[in-house]
Amino acid sequence: MAASTWQRWVWLPAVLLTGGAASCVGNLGDGAGVDASDPSKTPLVCDGVAIHPGDAPARRMTRFEYDNTVRDLLGDTTAPSSSFPADQVAGIFNNQADTLVVTQLLAEGYMNAAEAVAGNAVKQLGTLTGCDPKTSSEQACGAQFIESFGKRAFRRPLDADGRALLTDVFTKALAMWDYETAIRLVIETALQSPRFVFRVELGMPDPKSAGVVQLDDYEVASRLSYLLWGSLPDTELMAAADAHELSTSEQVSAQATRLLADPKARSVIENFHEQWLGLPKLDTLDKDTKAYPIFTPALKTTWRKETMAFVDDVILHGDGDLATLLSAPYTMMNAETAAFYGVKNGPTGSTFEHVDLDPKQRAGLLTQPSLLALNAHVDQTSPVHRGKFVRERLLCELISPPPPGLNIVPPPVDPNATTRERFSQHSDDIACSGCHNLMDPIGFGFEGYDAVGLYREKENGLTLDTSGEIKGSKDADGKFNGAVELADRLANSEEVRACVVTQWFNYGYGRTTTTEDKCTIQALQTTFAAANYDVKTLLIGLTQTDAFRYRKPVVAGQ
Amino acid sequence: MAQGRFMLNRRSILKGLAGAAIGLPLLEAMGPKAYAAPLPKRLVIFFTPDGTIPGAWATGTENNFTLGPILEPLAAHKSDLLVLTGIKNEAAHHGPGDDHQRGMETMLTGTELQTGPDKGGCDTCPAAGFAGGPSVDQVIAQKIGKQNKLQSMEFGVSVHDSNSWSRMSFSGPGVPLSPVDNPKLAYTRIFGDFNADPAGAKRLAAERHLVLGSVLADAKKLQSKVSSADRAKIEQHLSSIDSINSHLDTMVQIGGDCSLPPAIGNIGDIYAEANHEAVGQLQMDLMVAAMACDITRVSSLQWTTSVGNTTFGQLGLSEGHHELSHHPTEDPVSQAALIKIDNFYAKQLAYLITKMKTIQEGSGTMFDNTAILWCNELAVGNAHSHDNMHYVLAGSCGGAFKTGRFLNFKGDHHNNLLLSLCHAMDVDLSSFGNPAYCTGVLPGLTG
Repeated sequence: MAASTWQRWVWLPAVLLTGGAASCVGNLGDGAGVDASDPSKTPLVCDGVAIHPGDAPARRMTRFEYDNTVRDLLGDTTAPSSSFPADQVAGIFNNQADTLVVTQLLAEGYMNAAEAVAGNAVKQLGTLTGCDPKTSSEQACGAQFIESFGKRAFRRPLDADGRALLTDVFTKALAMWDYETAIRLVIETALQSPRFVFRVELGMPDPKSAGVVQLDDYEVASRLSYLLWGSLPDTELMAAADAHELSTSEQVSAQATRLLADPKARSVIENFHEQWLGLPKLDTLDKDTKAYPIFTPALKTTWRKETMAFVDDVILHGDGDLATLLSAPYTMMNAETAAFYGVKNGPTGSTFEHVDLDPKQRAGLLTQPSLLALNAHVDQTSPVHRGKFVRERLLCELISPPPPGLNIVPPPVDPNATTRERFSQHSDDIACSGCHNLMDPIGFGFEGYDAVGLYREKENGLTLDTSGEIKGSKDADGKFNGAVELADRLANSEEVRACVVTQWFNYGYGRTTTTEDKCTIQALQTTFAAANYDVKTLLIGLTQTDAFRYRKPVVAGQ
Repeated sequence: MAQGRFMLNRRSILKGLAGAAIGLPLLEAMGPKAYAAPLPKRLVIFFTPDGTIPGAWATGTENNFTLGPILEPLAAHKSDLLVLTGIKNEAAHHGPGDDHQRGMETMLTGTELQTGPDKGGCDTCPAAGFAGGPSVDQVIAQKIGKQNKLQSMEFGVSVHDSNSWSRMSFSGPGVPLSPVDNPKLAYTRIFGDFNADPAGAKRLAAERHLVLGSVLADAKKLQSKVSSADRAKIEQHLSSIDSINSHLDTMVQIGGDCSLPPAIGNIGDIYAEANHEAVGQLQMDLMVAAMACDITRVSSLQWTTSVGNTTFGQLGLSEGHHELSHHPTEDPVSQAALIKIDNFYAKQLAYLITKMKTIQEGSGTMFDNTAILWCNELAVGNAHSHDNMHYVLAGSCGGAFKTGRFLNFKGDHHNNLLLSLCHAMDVDLSSFGNPAYCTGVLPGLTG
């Protein structure tokens, strides 16, 4: 594309942006307890006695949860959900209860997957059922399988309806065809029932207090396993439910601790961070190879794995502190990562290893190449996107997209100017500056990293000015120089800590906060602080709240 | 059965890839598919993003016009087109969401979005969720598509995302339908059952009836115990299962122009821009093949999403589509680039039309009985505008539209276009979408 000679955008005079920063920003799931859309509601008093569980809509499985569940239910490792339509995304996460529906396309996916999974499972019929129809009887083996498999598939002992469902299919299939078909169809039936696909909760019949019921042990078991493993309860968790040993907060906490220590927790930690950090967008990311010859599509996979390995290492093998996640001067590298960074004598295999980085150049998540490249253009950096990332994902402050009528285009790459100089109109023009002052000054602090995330001290041979500033935040305001200083500021910000709590609430509970969640949010923030912001403790804390252990009673039809 | 029945009461077998036919004889009809009159009508929605360059569409008067650089690839089909300009999408001016979200989700629904967590670009508007009503393709499909194996089929090219900027088809409020980006998955969905031997197919259908029927019956008991919100979710699940269950025995007549398309080989990365055109054309081949077999009569092809930012390296461009769309109108380089992009999309539309014209039907072709709407979520990209929307309506839809004209509606309602589509497809509604934005059909489309 030939260089344009125009230097300033056309400003359509009909558009006026009134107001300052306040008109640009909405807040993500404000946990302060006051619902911004209805401030007349009386804020709750959190006395530690009254219970406020908030809403608990039925939750449909995501693809991630489906694959884990069939793996743990039947040992199927084929990841059948790859042919399902993608889960609808609302806000940041793809697991928000009110957004997930079963369209026909998805129901077809469930059907095809159920048939494939069941078909594989019955190849080992004896092992699957633990019963020999010749020594026992086909009916007896069937009934036994229905009880044990049905309990695991529906995540609770079969009630009369569930038993009737599976027994009816078994009996008819046995009559029309054969024993193996009958077992197979029992599995297919279970996997396509709403009892499997949705987590439906009814709670205990007797109210704990006015308008509050406790969840029953099996419901608690499912909440625990889906929160920390993204999968169904294991044998030990089900046994605890059978013994009614999931009712006190200590019992729940003990199980949560066990689940978090299990390798299966890793996939949840990664799934959350993938989404929180916006990494799926890497799939369609492209770079100009003339500007960045180091870029290949394979590099995107390398970046993604590096960030996941780093997150795993900090949270599951390290101190787990948010501050470490946001500012530690190391990363995890394998051979490809080392080649990208240009590290001499680095790792040579495919396994990721801890590699210290220059603490003047790198600090935690903010300087991970995955994020730096994601928030940049094809051929240049993007202070706007990097600033927006910090604003939205770390400060939970949502920025409105530009209003209509303004021409929104990054200035052309100019060999005689730095990015900061070329973006000056954002601060010069009143129409732009209201919102851009919240983003660009942050993003300029990242100019020490190019559009593929490599450290640089010059741009086009010009010395870089990496000074930045946060404006209009709650507690993170002020100037800084470079991303490392920014990382340190954010690592110690109460606003960032509160934002992380909100993000885990949204992901963990599958919904956004309302006024009713004020006490739950406060409890989580207190737990987080008391543990010096150890993410693992926060996760255990998610299982101790009103929102997790209780619900409003279900009134059929209301 | 109602009009349009053309399936015979016999099982038809397709020769498997391995060779010999088995069981009942192959219905090799001599000549075109034997439809009973009237011939079936088809609707196709063809979506491309980020607005367009109005000046490059067409010049001239209603009956005497010249196609501009964007529409030029459609020259061979000029007499079969209606070039529609000056339409105002009123619904996109209201309700939650930013201009791209509103544009995308009102484009086929004609009503405001629901509220939700996706923060839009309006200071005082609540954040957006998904569409607040069903889309025109689904409303039509629900009326005319019940006897088809697939009520509708949504195809995508590099859609990838699944948020409120990337869905245009809705079976109801808050229920988006996902386009299938991967031609292999689309192939399996449409033609997967063709390879079954008749005994195997019969057995599979019987098994599925048992399983799905039982799931449905039991789920009603579950529904009776839960809250109304949860009941609605389960209801949606059940209606999806029911739709599958009730089409298990839908037979497809092979013969004439209906045949199993060749299996799709290795197509590489379906999200790579270099494969954009190849993927799109594969999807269009599948669409036409599905319609030739009457597997569906309603379909859509969604090229990326609103805010789509494809970098068309194959067209010699190095900046993304969305970024280009935000250059000032005065910048000749980006204007030329945007014209190139839309010219490319017009070329793809021409491919689809040409393909449909090869399928004989009655005394004409499939295209004669089809309406294709080429639509966009915006009018002009850099202004994020929804007024002066530009559309191409290709095909007379069985004589419903008088084609070969260039029309300017001077601000008339977008919902009226949606209503016109319904009427052309023999769906007799009096209004479409939010009735506040619909005053009747668009005048002058039918001649």
